[in-house]
Amino acid sequence: MKLAGLKSIEDAHEESVWAVTWVPSTETRPALLLTGSLDETVRLWQPDELVNRGKMTGHCLGVASVAAHPSGHIAASASLDSFVRVFDVDSNNTIASLEAPPSEVWQLRFNPQGTMLAVAGGGSASVKIWDTTTWNLVATLSIPRPEGTKPTDKSSSKKFVLSVAWSPDGRRIACGSMDGTVSVFDADRGKFLHHLEGHFMPVRSLVFSPVEPRLLFTGSDDTHVHMYDAEGKTLVGAMSGHASWVLSVDVSTDGAALATGSSDRTVRLWDINMRGAVQTMSNHTDQVWGVAFRPGGMPGRLASVSDDKSISLYDYS
Amino acid sequence: MQETEQEKECELRRLEGCIEAHPDDPSLRFELGVLLWEEWDAKEKAAEQFVVAAKLKPEIEKGGAFRYLGIYYAGLDSQSHSQRALKCFQKAVSLNPDDSLSGEALCDLLDQQGKESLEVAVCREASQKSPRAFWAFQRLGYLLLHQNKCSEAVHGLQHAIRGYPTSPHLWEALGLAYQRLGRFTAALKSYGRAIELEGTRIFALLESGNIFLMLGSFRQGVEAFQQALEISPKSVSAHYGLASGLLCLAKECNNLGAYRWGATVLEEASKVAWMCTQLAGNMSSIWKLHGDIQLTYAKCYPWMEEDHSLEFDVEAFDNSILSWKHTCCLTAKTAKCSYQRALHLSPWQANIYADIAVTSDLVDSFDNSTGHELSAWQPSEKMALGALLLEGDNSEFWVALGCLSDHNALKQHALIRGLHLNVSLAVAWAYLGKLYRKQGEKQFARQAFDCARSIDPSLALPWAGMSADFHARESAAGEAYESCLRAVQILPLAEFQMGLAKLALGSGNLSSSQVFGAIRQAMQRAPHYPECHNLTGLVYEAQSNYQSAAASYRLARCAITNLSGCGRKSHMTDISINLARSLSRAGNALDALQECEDLKKEGLLDVEGLQIYAFSLWQLGKTELALSVARNLAVSVSTMEQTSAAASVVFICRFLYHISGLDSAINSILKMPKQLFQSSKISFIVSAIHALDRSNRLESVVSSSRYYLKSHEEITGMHFLIALGKLIKHGSEHRLGYQSGIDHLRKALHMYPNSSLLRNLLACLLLCSEEWNDTHIATRCCDIDTTKPSKGGLKSAYEILGAGAVACYAVGNCSPKFSYPTCTYQCLNEPGAIQQLQKCLRREPWNQNIRYLLVLNLLQKAREERFPCHLCIILERLISVALSDEVYHNTGMSYEYKKFQLLLCASEICLQRGNLTGCINHAKNASSIMLPDDYLFFAHLLLLRAYALECDTVNLQKEYIRCLELKTDHHIGWICLKFIEYRYELQSDLDILESSFKECSKERMNSWNMWRALFILVQGLISIWSQDIISAEQFFAQACSLAGDESSLLLCHGATCMELSRQGCSSQFLSLAVRSLTKAQEGPLIPLPIVSALLAQAAGSLGSKEKWEKNLRLEWPTWPQEMRPAELFFQMHLLARQTKASSDSSRVEFCQSPEKWVLRAIHTNPSCMRYWKVLQKLVE
Repeated sequence: MKLAGLKSIEDAHEESVWAVTWVPSTETRPALLLTGSLDETVRLWQPDELVNRGKMTGHCLGVASVAAHPSGHIAASASLDSFVRVFDVDSNNTIASLEAPPSEVWQLRFNPQGTMLAVAGGGSASVKIWDTTTWNLVATLSIPRPEGTKPTDKSSSKKFVLSVAWSPDGRRIACGSMDGTVSVFDADRGKFLHHLEGHFMPVRSLVFSPVEPRLLFTGSDDTHVHMYDAEGKTLVGAMSGHASWVLSVDVSTDGAALATGSSDRTVRLWDINMRGAVQTMSNHTDQVWGVAFRPGGMPGRLASVSDDKSISLYDYS
Repeated sequence: MQETEQEKECELRRLEGCIEAHPDDPSLRFELGVLLWEEWDAKEKAAEQFVVAAKLKPEIEKGGAFRYLGIYYAGLDSQSHSQRALKCFQKAVSLNPDDSLSGEALCDLLDQQGKESLEVAVCREASQKSPRAFWAFQRLGYLLLHQNKCSEAVHGLQHAIRGYPTSPHLWEALGLAYQRLGRFTAALKSYGRAIELEGTRIFALLESGNIFLMLGSFRQGVEAFQQALEISPKSVSAHYGLASGLLCLAKECNNLGAYRWGATVLEEASKVAWMCTQLAGNMSSIWKLHGDIQLTYAKCYPWMEEDHSLEFDVEAFDNSILSWKHTCCLTAKTAKCSYQRALHLSPWQANIYADIAVTSDLVDSFDNSTGHELSAWQPSEKMALGALLLEGDNSEFWVALGCLSDHNALKQHALIRGLHLNVSLAVAWAYLGKLYRKQGEKQFARQAFDCARSIDPSLALPWAGMSADFHARESAAGEAYESCLRAVQILPLAEFQMGLAKLALGSGNLSSSQVFGAIRQAMQRAPHYPECHNLTGLVYEAQSNYQSAAASYRLARCAITNLSGCGRKSHMTDISINLARSLSRAGNALDALQECEDLKKEGLLDVEGLQIYAFSLWQLGKTELALSVARNLAVSVSTMEQTSAAASVVFICRFLYHISGLDSAINSILKMPKQLFQSSKISFIVSAIHALDRSNRLESVVSSSRYYLKSHEEITGMHFLIALGKLIKHGSEHRLGYQSGIDHLRKALHMYPNSSLLRNLLACLLLCSEEWNDTHIATRCCDIDTTKPSKGGLKSAYEILGAGAVACYAVGNCSPKFSYPTCTYQCLNEPGAIQQLQKCLRREPWNQNIRYLLVLNLLQKAREERFPCHLCIILERLISVALSDEVYHNTGMSYEYKKFQLLLCASEICLQRGNLTGCINHAKNASSIMLPDDYLFFAHLLLLRAYALECDTVNLQKEYIRCLELKTDHHIGWICLKFIEYRYELQSDLDILESSFKECSKERMNSWNMWRALFILVQGLISIWSQDIISAEQFFAQACSLAGDESSLLLCHGATCMELSRQGCSSQFLSLAVRSLTKAQEGPLIPLPIVSALLAQAAGSLGSKEKWEKNLRLEWPTWPQEMRPAELFFQMHLLARQTKASSDSSRVEFCQSPEKWVLRAIHTNPSCMRYWKVLQKLVE
């Protein structure tokens, strides 16, 4: 497996680019790249030439997370003041605005069926689930307090939830917190199941394997990437190599490769079977906030975004 | 119907007629034959016609006649007829090789007669004759495949598929051919096509399943078998395949260490295998598979840890271990039974003997009840021997015997025999190495391991052996760790994993993820080893998870009580001290103390134990006892080795300082022997105590101990400490000696320019000193590299940036749209602080401090942009959430202060949005916070403003008096108050305000003149409002002389002078004005508007047209486009008219005609009659 640079756009945004996701293709257009930035805009890019297809404004602070509905028609973006804007990708019409207290919205993820939007609830120490037809809040999955601590303790700020992921069958939700714990929930019953231990610094990104619903990959500030059996609460692999925080992880659609973006300004490609890095891309000049594999068939594409205001697109084969 | 009958009749007649006419025409005869055959079903008659036709012209219709004849004869059931049929078909095929019907029939006949080679020859001939003889290719392909000539078969089948692309049989056959040739991916594709064409091709499904298993794609293999089972639920092969697929999958999971996952897969596999034994209980291989599954299950079944509850239950722990062992043992026994059944069915299979041997060994290891005698043969040994008796030349059985035997001599013999048979058997070398190691023959052991590793580097044991070897040498801790890590990654065995954790402890890798994962996995397979729990605890401790660490140590202690043997006591002590330490670190002093006291009773407290003991006592407030323990510790210091002595001395010094205070600590230090202070750690402690001591009693100790600081980090750390010390030593009662600290840091930074620790402290001190313009230097001297995690120091870089930016009024505003910063420090070109803070927030969203600074900076921005609505809304949201955060319920000066600031921000936003009640409420809340009057002043100032807007004169007066009572140390407060006082004609003694202003700290020497200038500026403005321009001019002149080249003051002065000269005062004012304005024009980075216009006017009055033009032109670009006033356009009109003659048309006034300029002026301000009049004149 290997990555080959296809196209890089310097100054794609006016400020640091913080979030990236692929909007799946529809009947009328191919899959597009959606990026969010500190410059308070969300932009659309068409591969492979990365032609700018639109700029969405409407946020008052930096955009920290973007997510795309599996249908490819709807997307959502969230800014630092916890304002979530849901919009139509093609027309840029606002569909809904979801508000939460600032600090209580972080990463966003639609479930694979497209019926729910999971929001990593930051300081609320929970994952919030919004219905995508009515745009009402339907569930709050709270991380239980450890036994023996009183509600008045300051510990809730330790459980600041940074990241969230759905399993490919939509039955499990995993979320990563600031203290390094990963919590697994039963999505159907809205019940907390267990913690996955091993990280001891913030878990900023996690993703389930698209081919094996039990496998969960997590990236953390402790510079490690972990591979968990999410059902059996076992750490089954740890991959080291980054020199600084791992900010973003994503798995390729064939489930064989993992890409990570890190504070050490590199993008790494890992062979999951070998549990080792196979390639390091160091074309970015600042920390890499997001990596995303294009969903669906060949040819494989990986996009990365960075604090250096640039977007890069790679061919994955 | 009848008509057709008649037609048939007619046709027959006609043909018969024709034949009578031309009896020698073969085609007519053939036609008749076909007619009779097809329409009349008169086969015999038809045959006669065909015979004649064939005789007349054998090649008629490409041998069609022979085909019919062949079919006819074949239908007649007798030996001679079939022979005749054969001949006819042969003829037909030779005439037309594409005739599939004849060809197939011919081959069928040959097949019946068992003439396979003839059949092949016929097909081959036909296929050679015509590429379209697909039947022949197909038949040939099948036949060759049957004869196992696969490569030829592939050729035939491929060709046949061109003719029959939708035949699942062909695809299946092709798949089989590929499979036999070992071209598995091609085979998979062909099988896949067959399944695609016909979903129920069970053969294709089974075979593709087998191939997947062979290729290692177990998941796909399992899916194929599951599909096969759906089609044929009783298929033994499908069951067998599924079970073995699941077994392989589980083994894969186990190799990752995912035991629970493996166990669930194995449970399913076991069910399937059991079903299979029910379907075909007489096949030994099925029983063997069942045995394999059970054995794997017994080897991977994980011990499930109950969720840690704080109430630790020994009994529950013991029970859980017992039941885990029980389950493992039971499955191993089931496996043994299954293997025995298999052996019973096929006792000639030697490998099953070996399997039983391995399983019995496992059962014994769980059932440690067997008190066997050494002389008797173990069942496992016996069975291994059984295997060897059957196949004495199988080296692997020798290895098995070597592993299972209890006698070292036999072991060695068996392994060497194995190597005799196969010298490249890596396993045998590895076990031999292990054996030698056990016997203490290290040289041999190393050689054996090296051999094993060079033969097969993917074997775990040699790596583990190497690791042990490295460990023994003590010099290569890192290498030992690496080797062991390799072993663990290859094979997640509990023993290896525990070894890894132990090595990590030595080499400092304890907090690594690999070690954590390994020890957690080891826990699932070796919960009965106390060492395992102890190491888990250590790993947790390395990750600062003390609660879990304590729980693990408790488990370890529990496990050790079930264990007997030597060294138990010392292990117990180690674990107890570990437990006490982690409890103490987790903040559970009471339990830690309990542990220490238990240890003390047994007399097992060592140095570390004593420290924990003393610390816990101190935490619980028993200072006397704590001190006595510390004294005990001090007594034993002299007998300790260097490092632990240093740790103890550091502990004692800190302890004394905390309990008995500075003087006692200093006295003790002075009493201690000098040779103790030979370490950098102690140097830091002593220096810290020295820094707090104003009488410098420790001078000599400190200077001698500093000799031991070696690394850059240590030296910069010491400079940090010295700078802090200078703050204290050179400070007054109310104010730290910032300047001396800053001076020291500047010098230190000159030596260590890379130290962010020193940079940040310097910036922090510059900010704290509150000197004029130091804020800019502060933000410039700390480096804000967001990719580096901030560590250490008083304040992090972002805090300095945020605070510095708030302190400067020109927050990240690059365009002079809202204000004209006259600040000469070039902070304007830096990237905005708000963006930087957002970047920090993106990295640490939980950090309340960044949020707080972001709020303050946003408020500054909002203020600069005149409070636009969208910013106010964000601010309201941010502030309301920040205020509700639990952090601000903490009592503590810094939290209270931040809450106060946030409330003031909220109040200000309310004020700006016209929500006066909200404003008053927030301000009242703020004023009720327990803070020094100095700060509370500002809450009342806000109240004052709100009441002023409400026109509530009673409260206005009250708050004014309150402000005067409270007083503040911040000049800006007094200046604001002065404004309000004048604006609302508040009654008070003017002198109070002014004297308070003067009183307020003059220590900031550099700033004092600036603040005074500002105060005088306000007085000047007040004079202007009261129409007293002459005294205003005096005030301004005074302010200008105090503040140096501050452009806005110069502008005020210049403008006032202009006004005076306009009113006809003496002409010196005009030159004064020109002087001030010229200075104002030169000063700032962003040119101020109006200055040049005024200057032009002054120049005009003095009669210098050239200067007038030049200055007016300078005026134009100082205004942002959307803010240009009407008068500017009008002035440009004048300029355009005056300089019409000039040739240089690139000047701004020539971009349009004078009429247009006037029109634009009128457009901007239509109410000014002057413009209209000029326009009228121009038009005329």
